[in-house]
Amino acid sequence: MNDMRIVERDVDTNENKITARGVQVFYGQNHALKDVDVDILDKTVTAFIGPSGCGKSTFLRCLNRMNDTIDGCSVQGSIKIDSEDIYDPKVDPVQLRAKVGMVFQKPNPFPKSIYDNVAYGPKIHGLTRSKAELDEVVETSLRRAALWNEAKDRLSSPGTGLSGGQQQRLCIARAIATSPEVLLMDEPCSALDPIATAQIEELIDELRSQFSVVIVTHSMQQAARVSQRTAFFHLGNLVEYGETGKMFTNPSDPRTESYITGRIG
Amino acid sequence: MTGLSASSAAGARKGSLLAQDALTVQRNASETRFKLYGIIAITLSMLALIWLLYSIFSVGTPAFRQTFLTMPIELPADKLDKSGTRDLAVMSKVTTVGYAAVIQAALEKAITEKGIPTEGMTAKDIAGIISLEAPAQLRNYVLANPELVGQTIDFEVLANGRVDGFFKGRVSMESAKLDSNIKPEQLILSEKLVDAGIMAQRFNWGFITAPDASDQRPEAAGLGVAIIGSFYMMLIVLVLSLPIGVAASIYLEEFAPKNRWTDLIEVNIANLAAVPSIVFGILGLAVFINFAGLPQSAPIVGGLVLTLMTLPRIIIPARAALKSVPPSIRDAALGVGASKLQSVFHHVLPLAAPGILTGMIIGLAQALGETAPLLLIGMVAFVRDYPSAPMQGFFDPASALPVQVFNWTVRGDPGFVERASGAIIVLLVFLLIMNAVAIILRRRFERRW
Amino acid sequence: MQTEKHIAAAFDRDLEAIQAMIMKMGGLVEAAVLDAAQALDTRDEELAERVRAADRAVDALEEQINAEAARLIALRAPTATDLRTALTVMKIAGSLERCGDYAKNLAKRSSVLIQMSAIGDTAGGIRRMAKAVELQLKDALDAYIQRDVELAEEVRRRDRDVDQMYNSLFRVFLTHMLEDPRNITACMHLHFIAKNIERMGDHATGIAEQVIYLVNGAMPEEPRVKGDTTSVTLLDGSQ
Repeated sequence: MNDMRIVERDVDTNENKITARGVQVFYGQNHALKDVDVDILDKTVTAFIGPSGCGKSTFLRCLNRMNDTIDGCSVQGSIKIDSEDIYDPKVDPVQLRAKVGMVFQKPNPFPKSIYDNVAYGPKIHGLTRSKAELDEVVETSLRRAALWNEAKDRLSSPGTGLSGGQQQRLCIARAIATSPEVLLMDEPCSALDPIATAQIEELIDELRSQFSVVIVTHSMQQAARVSQRTAFFHLGNLVEYGETGKMFTNPSDPRTESYITGRIG
Repeated sequence: MTGLSASSAAGARKGSLLAQDALTVQRNASETRFKLYGIIAITLSMLALIWLLYSIFSVGTPAFRQTFLTMPIELPADKLDKSGTRDLAVMSKVTTVGYAAVIQAALEKAITEKGIPTEGMTAKDIAGIISLEAPAQLRNYVLANPELVGQTIDFEVLANGRVDGFFKGRVSMESAKLDSNIKPEQLILSEKLVDAGIMAQRFNWGFITAPDASDQRPEAAGLGVAIIGSFYMMLIVLVLSLPIGVAASIYLEEFAPKNRWTDLIEVNIANLAAVPSIVFGILGLAVFINFAGLPQSAPIVGGLVLTLMTLPRIIIPARAALKSVPPSIRDAALGVGASKLQSVFHHVLPLAAPGILTGMIIGLAQALGETAPLLLIGMVAFVRDYPSAPMQGFFDPASALPVQVFNWTVRGDPGFVERASGAIIVLLVFLLIMNAVAIILRRRFERRW
Repeated sequence: MQTEKHIAAAFDRDLEAIQAMIMKMGGLVEAAVLDAAQALDTRDEELAERVRAADRAVDALEEQINAEAARLIALRAPTATDLRTALTVMKIAGSLERCGDYAKNLAKRSSVLIQMSAIGDTAGGIRRMAKAVELQLKDALDAYIQRDVELAEEVRRRDRDVDQMYNSLFRVFLTHMLEDPRNITACMHLHFIAKNIERMGDHATGIAEQVIYLVNGAMPEEPRVKGDTTSVTLLDGSQ
């Protein structure tokens, strides 16, 4: 990384990874997400911010069709990953979720060993052919998640025995073990202390060279620190979407400014 | 609130923390009273439990000891094996009457050898101290070992129930005078036989292994058939209700759409758990015996009826166990790309296992103790033959432990009262073992979580 | 003085980048000052022209530094030393930009003075003063990069010397103007030049004070040493 890195923060050399057009989400009668158009770039961290209930988590869950598991939730509009509509009837959500990984708010490792936690995804998707290959995938994932040094001597101990920050890194390792192309993170640091949060943010910064990362966060400061693009949601609408530096120094929409400066909640 | 706070606030500000105010004293007093009620309730229930156990054990433990006569018995070939060829077909023609004579002769011989006086007693009286079951015992033994005919063997026969009762304190000399089944002279003879070493009390394995015996022979009655019958039924209940119950609860909890039909099913399952068990007996009678033509009093019918009864009692705790698994685990599994089925079987089920197991063992323990439905399908009958090995054995007539208890309780002979209590003890022991297994299994699974 | 790295490596990179920009800007300004003084002394019209053109780069850097510092504050919410680093960077950029403007002004006036005849050794005097000020700037920026409070204090004290040089130049100009009224135009230009260089010295002192604020968390307690007596100098040269 050269020392003029901040000058090259513009990411317009990357292609669109995810294209969403006219997305509407209904929970029963409640129109939760209205008319969202957004292009999410590859090899970039995109942050979704907004007050509680604004629809950012809802939209995130549309991207890997987790909303399918919620009764009464209907999604309209088109969401394309690499120009393929993920809501096409021919698409199997299970296969989609191998390509689009997810990390949740509260660290939720399986109550199995660390090794089994990471190996589960590749196993059920048949991504490896031998135990040696599986070992390699587990090691690579744990290394990328910056957990290998702490975990390599206790791969068979339960995943739930780690600290909060380590558990979340384990969940990240588990999500990247299936070699996804997009990584979705729903408030991954909200249950962690500041040091663990900083370590996870640093990890996200390193991961973005391989994946497209979309992170929902209720902390604007976190969005400012970690993302290159930010989308501001308010009352179900996508109010503004742009380069993070510009959004936090000179946003276009007055609602964005009000939210960022702490004038509306 | 403001008025209260104004006056008490003024007071609180003036008073020190080291002096408790009236409200605090009141609160503490009511808490102490509540704790006292709890302790009293626990003490009372402990006392009741101790009294209950004492009364059962004091009546029931004697059932495990029985009076036997051990003496050399001559097996005359001319009487027992007319053909001389040890042919079982021929030897079977000799009935228990013939063997009774053999035993009687042996007893008289033993008495004269030991020099015990028997004046005033007829031969029938002397023979009367032996159980009426004894000839059958000897006959079965000889037919199983035909080569012993012609020899003299040392054999153990049961003593009469009244004699046994005399040694256990149920029968006394005074009551013997009024009793038609026993005379005081027989009791005196029995004492002398004990002194001579011919008669003795020992642990009665036969109580657990022998089949039931008729009214005249409480001393020979045993739980063998009942235990096997109960065991077969529990096996059937386990094999049928566990998979069906768990699969049903998984389907209802994870896969079924949430609409009015599934709500209806849920209400019905909850109601089924509360249906009186005798209703299931009527159902079993109508469907399994009358319609399907399965044999009466067979473990298969009992097992099926108990399965129907146990299913709701498994489904309800299984559903609760599945519900208690946090949704974050399901989300994590789905997020990594598991299908619904994989997430349920690989992740949710192992975590719900302790709860499901506990529910299942409790359901089994309840089924073990159910009597009413079994009565209706005919298990109250008197069954002497052991059911054979599974699967055929499921269709042979059998009894069940709680039914046997009921059976013995309604018979007149006081010897059966003792045996009924003994059977209750056996039942309690089984229930204790099952609960212990439930606790151990639960601990083992919970540690992994 | 924080020697540990931030957990977020990008934060360190951002801070280093803006400080690197300041050093670059400082280098440009120092070069501009020396070149402009040299152009006056050696009567080099082309050099003066180049200095004037180079000021654009200095202005652009100041804008860039301000934008980046604002971005750093918005995105990283720096606290303690990090915050003071961002704030001082903006102030120093402003000071350097003013110095750059003075240097450009020097070059502009040099172009005019070159047309006229030289006056005594005033150009030499100006050059010596410019050299002193350039050293001040250099030391102030070194003190900034090394977070050296002592060096910064020294820079503050040295401003007195620059003020003395300005005083003497002021008297020289007065003398020349009294001698020959035809010198007045040139001397006026020279005076403005000298004043601007003295101002540059004040800015360098300001940079040194920012260094002290950055390291200690508070501005220096003792007031500046003011050696400039020209405001009370009378025309007859007394005082």
